[in-house]
Amino acid sequence: MIHFYSMMADVDPKSFWNGTNNSPELIAMIAITTILGFIVLGFLMVAPIQLRKYVIAAVTFLSGLFYVAFYLFPVPVGRKPQDVPANIVESVGFWISDTQPVVANFSNIIGGFLLGLGIYSQLHLHIRRITRQQTDWGFSVVLIVSMVAIVICGYGDWIMRQGPKGSELQLQSKWGLLNYGSDLLFDGLLQQMDAAMFSMVAFYILSAAYRAFRARSLEATILLIAALIVVLSLMGALEYVWNGGINNLAQNDANSFIQNFRLTDIAKWLKDTIQTPAIRGIDFGVGIGLLAMGLRLWLSLETTGGNQ
Amino acid sequence: MGQQYLDTGWLGVAVTATIVAFILFNIYRARGGKELFIRRIPGLTAIDEAVGRATEMGKPVVMVPGLGDGTVNAKSLQALNIFSYVSRVAAKFATPIIVCCSNASLFALAQEVIRDVYQQEGVLDRYDMDSVRFISDRQFAFAAGVSGLVLRQQAAAAFLMGEFYAESLIMAETANSVGAIQVASSTETTQTPFFIAACDYVLIGDEFYAASAYLAKQPVLVGSLIGQDWGKAFLGFCVLVGTLVSSVQLLGSTTQEFKEGKMNTIPERIMKKSDTFFSRMLNPDPDPKIEITREKYPADQLPTPAPKETIK
Repeated sequence: MIHFYSMMADVDPKSFWNGTNNSPELIAMIAITTILGFIVLGFLMVAPIQLRKYVIAAVTFLSGLFYVAFYLFPVPVGRKPQDVPANIVESVGFWISDTQPVVANFSNIIGGFLLGLGIYSQLHLHIRRITRQQTDWGFSVVLIVSMVAIVICGYGDWIMRQGPKGSELQLQSKWGLLNYGSDLLFDGLLQQMDAAMFSMVAFYILSAAYRAFRARSLEATILLIAALIVVLSLMGALEYVWNGGINNLAQNDANSFIQNFRLTDIAKWLKDTIQTPAIRGIDFGVGIGLLAMGLRLWLSLETTGGNQ
Repeated sequence: MGQQYLDTGWLGVAVTATIVAFILFNIYRARGGKELFIRRIPGLTAIDEAVGRATEMGKPVVMVPGLGDGTVNAKSLQALNIFSYVSRVAAKFATPIIVCCSNASLFALAQEVIRDVYQQEGVLDRYDMDSVRFISDRQFAFAAGVSGLVLRQQAAAAFLMGEFYAESLIMAETANSVGAIQVASSTETTQTPFFIAACDYVLIGDEFYAASAYLAKQPVLVGSLIGQDWGKAFLGFCVLVGTLVSSVQLLGSTTQEFKEGKMNTIPERIMKKSDTFFSRMLNPDPDPKIEITREKYPADQLPTPAPKETIK
């Protein structure tokens, strides 16, 4: 696959979605798009619910169609930013390539708005808990104070680094209160707590494995034996002793049948012959399931969720 | 981004199109009133039992639609489909529910879906808008938040379904420690063993996608499920044929080799895996190194270069 973005150092390719800075065409395009956006928004607000359903289905279909075309339409070969498409197929290929980042930005912008809803949900829940002094309301205070502090320090630090003296902040001696606050809250606390949570996985694996690997049934026993072989094969000293014993039994004959029973070979056989095909089988099923789900969503055939 | 399909890259598209055709044909068939059978899935029959237990204990049912990739995708929507069924059962029995979301888009959607369910059941007054919560979009902050909720609320049932990564076991083991019945499913095969070890019921692989058809029994969903099965059978057949053909081919020798976008004649040698018919079909030439000369736009018609990054 040839990816033409690597060829664009400084200049974006000429497309429908961009223009020269401050040019009348660009300003006209922004104005027209803004007016169109408000018209669509107004229409959606006054349209009856039944009609909105069809509008949503149409938008979903067109968005899906775009990404189907994006993945399946042939990429223009060896494109450079100043290239004029040679024919209609290339024109479509150029247009799809230029439009994809714009479409991706739509979802980023909508996601940004929705983050506000998420923050509102957190504040609503925890402020109510504090005002009513419900159980563990102290944790809610910690959460809100932390949230406000990290927003103020993080945003302040970011603004300062964007400014004319931003490069000076690489030196810790030039830091102010906000920079220290951001460093403490993000690198000093948040990152460390993330790492602490991750480290707990090791202990949870042990407790889950203890329950899972009890020989309660035939299946559990097979699981236990397979797991034991794989675990033991990763222990260097034990593997050395076991494989050495097998080698002695085979009288150092590399072609002896008994050499198949080296711990590492049994573990490799288990992984290559049992585990990998099983995972591939599951992956096939998941992939086809995802395809079917995507297809139903794209064609608006999926009507479950809140509906009976 | 798309491929050139100059060599053999069309195969993936052809297989996808075939499976899509299977799914659409079976949806059409099921819509026509054809009775189609779905086998029993233990994890899904346990939903009523889990909610019933929560009702008896007066404790909440916790639902987690996975971490996801920060957007609303097909996996998180499928999880919401299943949770809408769980919420419907919970709404009937006035069992408290908590839905924990890790991204704001999914949170907004989940609020709408769960609210709709309560409205359809005629018990909108029982709907608590704080029952759907945005926890955090950071992986381990989310895991800590969900685990804390499960511990504080002493959840009686936990449904962990969707896209999970390293946080899966933290949540599953915490729910296990409070004695909650757990029904789980991850679309990530790396996390499925953790759920099998820690949870009571696990939907493995595509059972997760079969769930809505099993629960709702809608013709479209059932037809789609049968189409998926046809697709799996088709892939299984391809794997079998590919294995046999490649195994037979590897016994022989070859005088041809595909290199730099074309087939070259070489002295006879033993066949390698890369020479086999199916290997050639599945591994298209990645870079045919074609140069095309095109007309150029005048320099003054090109957009202004983007400003350089100011952050050092």
